[in-house]
Amino acid sequence: MKKIFAIMLIALTAIFTGCGGDNAGGDNKKLSVMLGSNVVSLDSAQATDLVSFEVIADCIDGLMQLDSKGKAIFALAEKVDVAEDGKTFTFHLRDAKWSNGDDVTAEDFVFAWRRHCQSANEYAYIFGDTVACIKNADAVIKKEMTPENLGVTATDSKTLVVELNAPVPFFLSLMAFPTFYPINEKFYNSLENGSYGTSPETFLSNGAFMLAEYLPGTANIQLKKNDSYWNAAQVSLDGFQYQVVSSSDNALTSFKNGTLNLVSIGGNQVQHVQSDAELSKNLQIHPTALLQYLSFNQDAKNHHGGALANKNLRLAISNVIDRESLVNNFVANGSLATYTAVPINFAPNFETGKFFAEDQKQFADVVSFDVEKARTFFETAKVEIGKTNFDLNIIYANDSGDTVVKVAQAIKSQVEENLPGVTITLQPMPKAEYLSNITSNNYDLALTNWAPDYNDPMSFFTLWTTEGCEISEHWSNADYDKIISDCTTGALAYDYNARWAAMYDAEKILLDNAVIAPLYTNASANLISSNVTGIEFHSVALERVFKNAKVQ
Amino acid sequence: MTKYVTKRILMAVLTLFVITFVLFVLIRIMPGDPFPVERMSAEMILQKREELGLNKPILIQFIDYLSMLANGSFGNGTSLYNGAPIKPILLKCLENSFKIGLISILFGTIVGLLIGIVAALNRGKFLDGLCTVVSILGVCIPSYVFMIFLQYFFSYKIPFFPYFFDASNFLHSAIMPALSLSLLAISIIARFTRNEMVEVMNSDYVKLAEAKGVYGWQLIRKHILRNALIPIVTVIAPLVVDLLTGAMVIEKIYGINGVGKLMVDAISGQGVDYNYVLALGIVFSAMYIGAMLILDILYGIIDPRIRLSAKDG
Repeated sequence: MKKIFAIMLIALTAIFTGCGGDNAGGDNKKLSVMLGSNVVSLDSAQATDLVSFEVIADCIDGLMQLDSKGKAIFALAEKVDVAEDGKTFTFHLRDAKWSNGDDVTAEDFVFAWRRHCQSANEYAYIFGDTVACIKNADAVIKKEMTPENLGVTATDSKTLVVELNAPVPFFLSLMAFPTFYPINEKFYNSLENGSYGTSPETFLSNGAFMLAEYLPGTANIQLKKNDSYWNAAQVSLDGFQYQVVSSSDNALTSFKNGTLNLVSIGGNQVQHVQSDAELSKNLQIHPTALLQYLSFNQDAKNHHGGALANKNLRLAISNVIDRESLVNNFVANGSLATYTAVPINFAPNFETGKFFAEDQKQFADVVSFDVEKARTFFETAKVEIGKTNFDLNIIYANDSGDTVVKVAQAIKSQVEENLPGVTITLQPMPKAEYLSNITSNNYDLALTNWAPDYNDPMSFFTLWTTEGCEISEHWSNADYDKIISDCTTGALAYDYNARWAAMYDAEKILLDNAVIAPLYTNASANLISSNVTGIEFHSVALERVFKNAKVQ
Repeated sequence: MTKYVTKRILMAVLTLFVITFVLFVLIRIMPGDPFPVERMSAEMILQKREELGLNKPILIQFIDYLSMLANGSFGNGTSLYNGAPIKPILLKCLENSFKIGLISILFGTIVGLLIGIVAALNRGKFLDGLCTVVSILGVCIPSYVFMIFLQYFFSYKIPFFPYFFDASNFLHSAIMPALSLSLLAISIIARFTRNEMVEVMNSDYVKLAEAKGVYGWQLIRKHILRNALIPIVTVIAPLVVDLLTGAMVIEKIYGINGVGKLMVDAISGQGVDYNYVLALGIVFSAMYIGAMLILDILYGIIDPRIRLSAKDG
């Protein structure tokens, strides 16, 4: 007995004396950045979330990159020739190295793209006809053709030729998206199956930073500067670290005590920060292109009798929601009330520079906050359906913070108060269950959102076609489908201005039919230490870019 | 004795098999796909399900899974840590949780025993009352609340400990979570030690020992504590496994890459991470079952009477 006690005491003393008292605050020169969730994968063929894309882009460069304004500029490509019909892009690569000393070659792109299409993972869709239009991509994804038929070839080690089925006006900016980044084929093949990108040893960089410490699912990622980066002279940071912080209260305190230099905060914290004279100097609101909206299930067979197949009922609900009150009182992080199917601050026209949804009043006759009008729609709906009481449910995923919960409650009270006879049941659930309910058609309304992958309105419009994503609203309209297919692979793809105008026609069909009720364009509220500059924020795809960041 | 032990081991293996089966079926009938689907068409989703073998009957899938287990693999991750082999990640996380768990067990057991002994020796007095209050508080306050409290005072107000877990400075950053975790162990062990000791102290053989002139530390150690230890060990065993299998909330808020955080991430991650939840479930169950086995053997070591009765039986 005595011995056991003695051993325990010795062990405990050893453990406690082993710890030094070094400074926990961290030194001020180091950049520590909050991540809102774990990295899902550093393999560009597996990554499906903004967090993974951000870390991949820290370490790997693509053909193009975004400048501070979000415009595509050259990265690994130093020159591009575009064929007259806009369907062939020839990229000439600059001299660049992987972090193991290998040259970055055109074959690395061919390998990565073929592999991605073959994997048929979620983001393989971006190679297909709705987005990048790369020749034979859809056939390879559906396994009707072998990957060798994909329209991408390396004519020599520095020349990459990409063939498209139709011109894609935003093709160059798409090349800045991590799904299109290269992977070193020789290195990949030397690894054990499935281990690519799971540790610093199994991952190669050709970008500004490389992994110093990483483990899948880790809460702490350390990056260091990649000295063999082609543009290393422009990178001022020696490295930085990511810390996964799941609660925004924790984020705020860790910013206040200096542990983190960049954190994202939610509506509650924004109000607190704004009332603090010192802290409010660090607050920056950045627009994103994430659109929060209500989606109506129009299937007549859904479990509440399909009342929402009635257009006037949908219009009544859409027009009874006070979106200004939602963003000011419930979201409260600088988000913007939105009355169009495409978010604000998104998709600038290449010629005029104006955002697609700049005019928020253009569909005011069908999307607005007007209780009188909503009641007129509602009365018509009651007559048409032959019922006066409607029990509807709203489903939403509740695993991403409490903002969505507050918004759902606000919508419930606004609808029930102004449309007597409508009763709304709120059904929060985990995201997996939520998606499963949507695909199996088991809901009336869904409070949902969409973050676009590329800076073009089509990123939204393809959602609502008959053949579109599985998560859309069981709605089908031949005119709408025709406009979208004309704009992607049809005649309109060859005429930029006609395509632009046609997309407004598509949006009109969408909103006249109240397929969705847009709510707000999300913003992200960030606290940034005053000695940190040069972090670039974008509204699409790569929300934060660190290669030009500086710490004074 | 050998026959008894063999029977126990066989029972343990059977229990683990049943648990694996139930876990497998429960996870497979949960709604949702184990891969991200938002950008996929219905056709693509079907194609992917087929590729991953998810459209086969559940029993066939279970047999496939068993053969993977027999080959020492837990299957490959299908969504959260996409495609990455599970075993190395699991081992790394187990290591982190083990280390922190070990510190809290050592600390919790020693402090718990001491508090219990002090309370028992002073039964009915002020110190006894104080110890009771402390142990009730320890049971009532969830460890993560204590953790948040420590984090607020000792890394935010007085920045002595790092605000987030820092693997490169393991011991320094392990202290707060280990202390918080040990709180429950301290309370439970203290309460049991006190009650058992009080009972033993009132027994005839202790009175006899006192009458024979045995007193002080020798009396406590040889006569009281040894006899009081059996029920205490019974409580400690599941506590040990509890502490070793990580603390979900503490690991999540403090950013420790342990099995508790891994479990939360696997359950709440995008899609349902079938294979991680399953692998963790199997490992946790195996640990509990193993702990119960060891417990039976420990009984025999601490109390020779159990060894004898086992021989009789």
